[in-house]
Amino acid sequence: MADHDLIDDYLTRLARHLPADAVAELADGLAETYDRHRTGGRSGSAAATAAIAEFGEPDVVLAAFVRQAPGRRVALFLLGFGPVVGACWATLLISEHAWTWPVPAGLRLAFGLTLLAVVAALAYAATARTTYRRTRASAPGCLVLLLLDAGLLSTAVTTAPALHWPFVLAAAASLTRMTLTVRALPRLLA
Amino acid sequence: MKAEAQALKGHLDALLLATLEDGPRHGYAIKEALRDGSGGRFDLPTGTVYPALHRLEAAGLISGSWSQADGRRRRSYRLTPAGERRLAGDRASWREFASTVTTLLEGAPWPTTT
Repeated sequence: MADHDLIDDYLTRLARHLPADAVAELADGLAETYDRHRTGGRSGSAAATAAIAEFGEPDVVLAAFVRQAPGRRVALFLLGFGPVVGACWATLLISEHAWTWPVPAGLRLAFGLTLLAVVAALAYAATARTTYRRTRASAPGCLVLLLLDAGLLSTAVTTAPALHWPFVLAAAASLTRMTLTVRALPRLLA
Repeated sequence: MKAEAQALKGHLDALLLATLEDGPRHGYAIKEALRDGSGGRFDLPTGTVYPALHRLEAAGLISGSWSQADGRRRRSYRLTPAGERRLAGDRASWREFASTVTTLLEGAPWPTTT
Protein backbone atom coordinates (compact mmCIF):
# COMPACT_ATOMS: atom_id res chain seq x y z
CA MET A 1 0.00 0.00 0.00
CA ALA A 2 1.27 3.48 -0.86
CA ASP A 3 2.44 5.25 2.23
CA HIS A 4 0.08 8.20 2.30
CA ASP A 5 -2.99 8.98 4.41
CA LEU A 6 -5.05 10.17 1.44
CA ILE A 7 -4.61 6.85 -0.31
CA ASP A 8 -5.20 4.90 2.88
CA ASP A 9 -8.46 6.80 3.43
CA TYR A 10 -9.49 6.21 -0.18
CA LEU A 11 -8.90 2.47 0.10
CA THR A 12 -10.57 2.29 3.49
CA ARG A 13 -13.73 3.80 2.00
CA LEU A 14 -13.75 1.22 -0.79
CA ALA A 15 -12.86 -1.64 1.56
CA ARG A 16 -16.11 -1.07 3.43
CA HIS A 17 -17.99 -2.23 0.36
CA LEU A 18 -15.77 -4.28 -1.95
CA PRO A 19 -14.28 -7.79 -1.62
CA ALA A 20 -10.75 -7.93 -0.16
CA ASP A 21 -9.21 -9.17 -3.42
CA ALA A 22 -10.65 -6.23 -5.36
CA VAL A 23 -9.28 -3.80 -2.79
CA ALA A 24 -5.85 -5.46 -2.93
CA GLU A 25 -5.85 -5.05 -6.70
CA LEU A 26 -6.86 -1.40 -6.44
CA ALA A 27 -4.22 -0.83 -3.76
CA ASP A 28 -1.51 -2.20 -6.05
CA GLY A 29 -2.59 0.01 -8.94
CA LEU A 30 -2.87 3.07 -6.72
CA ALA A 31 0.56 2.46 -5.23
CA GLU A 32 2.07 2.19 -8.69
CA THR A 33 0.35 5.38 -9.81
CA TYR A 34 1.51 7.15 -6.66
CA ASP A 35 5.10 5.97 -7.16
CA ARG A 36 5.07 7.18 -10.76
CA HIS A 37 3.97 10.65 -9.69
CA ARG A 38 6.57 10.71 -6.92
CA THR A 39 9.24 9.72 -9.41
CA GLY A 40 8.03 12.58 -11.58
CA GLY A 41 8.95 14.99 -8.80
CA ARG A 42 5.64 15.61 -7.04
CA SER A 43 5.33 15.89 -3.29
CA GLY A 44 3.66 13.08 -1.35
CA SER A 45 0.33 14.90 -1.08
CA ALA A 46 0.35 16.03 -4.70
CA ALA A 47 1.23 12.52 -5.86
CA ALA A 48 -1.54 10.97 -3.75
CA THR A 49 -4.09 13.52 -4.99
CA ALA A 50 -3.08 12.92 -8.60
CA ALA A 51 -3.21 9.13 -8.17
CA ILE A 52 -6.70 9.31 -6.69
CA ALA A 53 -7.84 11.64 -9.47
CA GLU A 54 -6.60 9.09 -12.02
CA PHE A 55 -8.48 6.30 -10.31
CA GLY A 56 -11.76 8.17 -9.99
CA GLU A 57 -13.90 9.17 -7.03
CA PRO A 58 -14.77 6.25 -4.72
CA ASP A 59 -18.44 6.48 -5.71
CA VAL A 60 -17.52 6.24 -9.40
CA VAL A 61 -15.30 3.21 -8.80
CA LEU A 62 -17.87 1.60 -6.55
CA ALA A 63 -20.64 2.14 -9.10
CA ALA A 64 -18.48 0.48 -11.78
CA PHE A 65 -17.88 -2.54 -9.55
CA VAL A 66 -21.58 -2.79 -8.69
CA ARG A 67 -22.63 -2.46 -12.35
CA GLN A 68 -20.41 -5.38 -13.32
CA ALA A 69 -20.84 -7.46 -10.16
CA PRO A 70 -21.60 -11.12 -10.91
CA GLY A 71 -24.49 -11.05 -8.44
CA ARG A 72 -26.18 -8.17 -10.22
CA ARG A 73 -25.67 -9.60 -13.69
CA VAL A 74 -26.98 -13.04 -12.69
CA ALA A 75 -29.98 -11.44 -10.99
CA LEU A 76 -30.80 -9.45 -14.12
CA PHE A 77 -30.56 -12.59 -16.25
CA LEU A 78 -32.77 -14.65 -13.94
CA LEU A 79 -35.36 -11.90 -13.71
CA GLY A 80 -35.46 -11.73 -17.50
CA PHE A 81 -35.60 -15.51 -17.92
CA GLY A 82 -38.16 -15.98 -15.12
CA PRO A 83 -41.25 -15.08 -17.14
CA VAL A 84 -40.24 -17.60 -19.84
CA VAL A 85 -39.96 -20.39 -17.28
CA GLY A 86 -43.17 -19.20 -15.64
CA ALA A 87 -45.05 -19.29 -18.95
CA CYS A 88 -43.84 -22.84 -19.61
CA TRP A 89 -45.01 -24.00 -16.20
CA ALA A 90 -48.31 -22.15 -16.51
CA THR A 91 -48.95 -24.02 -19.75
CA LEU A 92 -48.30 -27.34 -18.02
CA LEU A 93 -50.27 -26.57 -14.86
CA ILE A 94 -53.30 -25.35 -16.79
CA SER A 95 -53.26 -28.18 -19.34
CA GLU A 96 -52.95 -30.79 -16.57
CA HIS A 97 -55.55 -29.12 -14.32
CA ALA A 98 -52.99 -28.82 -11.57
CA TRP A 99 -55.59 -27.49 -9.13
CA THR A 100 -56.87 -31.09 -8.89
CA TRP A 101 -53.45 -32.45 -7.84
CA PRO A 102 -53.28 -33.73 -4.25
CA VAL A 103 -50.92 -31.04 -3.08
CA PRO A 104 -51.76 -29.52 0.35
CA ALA A 105 -52.90 -25.89 0.27
CA GLY A 106 -50.23 -24.98 2.81
CA LEU A 107 -47.53 -26.29 0.51
CA ARG A 108 -48.90 -24.33 -2.44
CA LEU A 109 -48.96 -21.18 -0.33
CA ALA A 110 -45.41 -21.78 0.92
CA PHE A 111 -44.21 -22.28 -2.64
CA GLY A 112 -45.83 -19.06 -3.80
CA LEU A 113 -44.47 -17.02 -0.92
CA THR A 114 -40.98 -18.46 -1.34
CA LEU A 115 -41.05 -17.65 -5.05
CA LEU A 116 -42.04 -14.08 -4.23
CA ALA A 117 -39.16 -13.85 -1.75
CA VAL A 118 -36.73 -15.10 -4.41
CA VAL A 119 -37.97 -12.52 -6.91
CA ALA A 120 -37.64 -9.81 -4.26
CA ALA A 121 -34.06 -10.88 -3.47
CA LEU A 122 -33.10 -10.92 -7.16
CA ALA A 123 -34.75 -7.53 -7.75
CA TYR A 124 -32.90 -6.15 -4.74
CA ALA A 125 -29.58 -7.33 -6.23
CA ALA A 126 -30.42 -6.27 -9.78
CA THR A 127 -31.30 -2.71 -8.80
CA ALA A 128 -28.10 -2.09 -6.81
CA ARG A 129 -26.31 1.05 -7.93
CA THR A 130 -23.60 1.91 -5.41
CA THR A 131 -24.05 -0.73 -2.71
CA TYR A 132 -21.99 -3.78 -3.59
CA ARG A 133 -23.39 -5.70 -0.62
CA ARG A 134 -26.81 -5.64 -2.24
CA THR A 135 -25.56 -7.67 -5.21
CA ARG A 136 -24.82 -10.56 -2.83
CA ALA A 137 -28.56 -11.03 -2.27
CA SER A 138 -28.69 -12.97 -5.52
CA ALA A 139 -26.67 -15.89 -4.05
CA PRO A 140 -29.33 -17.04 -1.55
CA GLY A 141 -31.95 -16.21 -4.17
CA CYS A 142 -30.25 -18.58 -6.62
CA LEU A 143 -29.93 -21.36 -4.05
CA VAL A 144 -33.62 -21.19 -3.13
CA LEU A 145 -34.59 -20.96 -6.80
CA LEU A 146 -32.71 -24.21 -7.42
CA LEU A 147 -34.72 -25.88 -4.67
CA LEU A 148 -37.98 -24.49 -6.05
CA ASP A 149 -37.20 -25.74 -9.54
CA ALA A 150 -36.25 -29.17 -8.19
CA GLY A 151 -39.37 -29.32 -6.06
CA LEU A 152 -41.61 -28.28 -8.92
CA LEU A 153 -40.06 -30.86 -11.23
CA SER A 154 -40.36 -33.70 -8.75
CA THR A 155 -43.95 -32.75 -7.92
CA ALA A 156 -44.91 -32.72 -11.59
CA VAL A 157 -43.22 -36.06 -12.23
CA THR A 158 -44.93 -37.79 -9.32
CA THR A 159 -48.30 -36.07 -9.48
CA ALA A 160 -49.21 -35.32 -13.07
CA PRO A 161 -51.48 -38.07 -14.42
CA ALA A 162 -49.86 -37.92 -17.86
CA LEU A 163 -46.70 -36.28 -19.09
CA HIS A 164 -47.21 -34.60 -22.47
CA TRP A 165 -45.33 -31.92 -24.39
CA PRO A 166 -46.14 -29.17 -21.87
CA PHE A 167 -44.19 -31.15 -19.29
CA VAL A 168 -41.21 -31.51 -21.62
CA LEU A 169 -41.33 -27.76 -22.23
CA ALA A 170 -41.55 -26.87 -18.53
CA ALA A 171 -38.91 -29.40 -17.54
CA ALA A 172 -36.54 -28.12 -20.22
CA ALA A 173 -37.05 -24.53 -19.03
CA SER A 174 -36.41 -25.42 -15.41
CA LEU A 175 -33.43 -27.64 -16.17
CA THR A 176 -31.89 -24.91 -18.33
CA ARG A 177 -32.33 -22.41 -15.52
CA MET A 178 -30.94 -24.85 -12.97
CA THR A 179 -27.88 -25.55 -15.12
CA LEU A 180 -27.13 -21.87 -15.66
CA THR A 181 -27.70 -21.12 -11.98
CA VAL A 182 -25.36 -23.91 -10.83
CA ARG A 183 -22.69 -22.63 -13.23
CA ALA A 184 -23.02 -19.11 -11.86
CA LEU A 185 -23.07 -20.05 -8.17
CA PRO A 186 -19.29 -20.40 -7.63
CA ARG A 187 -18.82 -16.79 -8.75
CA LEU A 188 -21.64 -15.61 -6.52
CA LEU A 189 -20.34 -17.45 -3.48
CA ALA A 190 -16.67 -16.48 -3.99
CA MET B 1 -13.12 10.63 -18.37
CA LYS B 2 -12.25 12.31 -21.62
CA ALA B 3 -15.09 12.96 -24.04
CA GLU B 4 -13.54 10.55 -26.53
CA ALA B 5 -13.90 7.80 -23.97
CA GLN B 6 -17.62 7.74 -24.72
CA ALA B 7 -16.61 6.24 -28.05
CA LEU B 8 -15.31 3.26 -26.11
CA LYS B 9 -18.80 2.04 -25.36
CA GLY B 10 -19.30 -1.22 -27.15
CA HIS B 11 -15.61 -1.55 -27.93
CA LEU B 12 -14.06 -1.61 -24.49
CA ASP B 13 -13.96 -5.40 -24.23
CA ALA B 14 -12.10 -5.79 -27.53
CA LEU B 15 -9.66 -3.02 -26.63
CA LEU B 16 -8.94 -4.56 -23.23
CA LEU B 17 -8.37 -7.94 -24.86
CA ALA B 18 -6.05 -6.32 -27.41
CA THR B 19 -3.85 -4.87 -24.65
CA LEU B 20 -3.14 -8.45 -23.53
CA GLU B 21 -2.23 -9.77 -26.94
CA ASP B 22 1.50 -9.30 -26.37
CA GLY B 23 1.50 -10.99 -22.98
CA PRO B 24 0.20 -10.74 -19.42
CA ARG B 25 -0.32 -7.34 -17.79
CA HIS B 26 -1.74 -6.15 -14.49
CA GLY B 27 -4.70 -3.78 -14.24
CA TYR B 28 -2.78 -0.53 -14.10
CA ALA B 29 -0.54 -1.55 -17.00
CA ILE B 30 -3.63 -2.42 -19.06
CA LYS B 31 -5.10 1.02 -18.41
CA GLU B 32 -1.79 2.64 -19.32
CA ALA B 33 -1.58 0.61 -22.53
CA LEU B 34 -5.08 1.76 -23.44
CA ARG B 35 -4.22 5.39 -22.77
CA ASP B 36 -0.81 5.36 -24.44
CA GLY B 37 -2.04 3.32 -27.40
CA SER B 38 -4.79 5.86 -28.04
CA GLY B 39 -2.48 8.83 -27.72
CA GLY B 40 -4.19 9.78 -24.46
CA ARG B 41 -7.68 9.92 -25.97
CA PHE B 42 -9.05 6.90 -24.09
CA ASP B 43 -8.15 7.77 -20.52
CA LEU B 44 -10.61 5.90 -18.33
CA PRO B 45 -10.70 6.33 -14.56
CA THR B 46 -8.31 3.54 -13.60
CA GLY B 47 -10.60 2.23 -10.90
CA THR B 48 -13.31 1.45 -13.43
CA VAL B 49 -11.04 -0.78 -15.53
CA TYR B 50 -10.76 -3.45 -12.83
CA PRO B 51 -14.45 -4.46 -12.75
CA ALA B 52 -14.41 -4.70 -16.55
CA LEU B 53 -11.44 -7.07 -16.27
CA HIS B 54 -13.30 -9.12 -13.65
CA ARG B 55 -16.26 -9.41 -16.01
CA LEU B 56 -14.00 -10.60 -18.85
CA GLU B 57 -12.44 -13.11 -16.48
CA ALA B 58 -15.84 -14.40 -15.42
CA ALA B 59 -16.68 -14.82 -19.10
CA GLY B 60 -13.56 -16.96 -19.56
CA LEU B 61 -11.92 -14.54 -21.99
CA ILE B 62 -8.98 -13.72 -19.73
CA SER B 63 -7.49 -15.45 -16.70
CA GLY B 64 -5.96 -13.77 -13.69
CA SER B 65 -3.27 -14.88 -11.29
CA TRP B 66 -1.76 -13.37 -8.15
CA SER B 67 1.90 -12.68 -7.59
CA GLN B 68 4.05 -10.51 -5.33
CA ALA B 69 5.57 -7.26 -6.63
CA ASP B 70 7.29 -4.58 -4.56
CA GLY B 71 5.88 -6.20 -1.43
CA ARG B 72 2.32 -5.95 -2.70
CA ARG B 73 -0.17 -8.49 -4.03
CA ARG B 74 -0.52 -8.04 -7.77
CA ARG B 75 -3.04 -9.62 -10.11
CA SER B 76 -2.00 -10.10 -13.71
CA TYR B 77 -4.19 -11.13 -16.60
CA ARG B 78 -3.56 -13.09 -19.77
CA LEU B 79 -5.71 -13.99 -22.75
CA THR B 80 -7.33 -17.40 -22.75
CA PRO B 81 -7.85 -19.33 -25.99
CA ALA B 82 -11.48 -18.17 -25.92
CA GLY B 83 -10.26 -14.59 -25.50
CA GLU B 84 -7.94 -14.95 -28.47
CA ARG B 85 -10.82 -16.20 -30.60
CA ARG B 86 -13.05 -13.36 -29.42
CA LEU B 87 -10.37 -10.79 -30.17
CA ALA B 88 -9.83 -12.18 -33.67
CA GLY B 89 -13.57 -12.08 -34.31
CA ASP B 90 -13.97 -8.55 -32.95
CA ARG B 91 -11.02 -7.37 -35.00
CA ALA B 92 -12.44 -8.82 -38.22
CA SER B 93 -15.86 -7.30 -37.49
CA TRP B 94 -14.33 -3.92 -36.79
CA ARG B 95 -12.27 -3.95 -39.99
CA GLU B 96 -15.35 -4.73 -42.03
CA PHE B 97 -17.41 -2.08 -40.28
CA ALA B 98 -14.68 0.58 -40.50
CA SER B 99 -14.07 -0.21 -44.15
CA THR B 100 -17.76 0.16 -44.96
CA VAL B 101 -18.11 3.46 -43.10
CA THR B 102 -14.93 4.82 -44.68
CA THR B 103 -16.18 3.91 -48.12
CA LEU B 104 -19.49 5.66 -47.50
CA LEU B 105 -17.97 8.76 -45.96
CA GLU B 106 -15.04 9.33 -48.24
CA GLY B 107 -15.13 7.28 -51.36
CA ALA B 108 -17.92 5.91 -53.43
CA PRO B 109 -20.72 8.06 -54.83
CA TRP B 110 -24.19 7.42 -53.40
CA PRO B 111 -26.44 5.31 -55.63
CA THR B 112 -29.24 7.13 -57.42
CA THR B 113 -32.74 6.33 -56.21
CA THR B 114 -34.86 7.37 -59.19
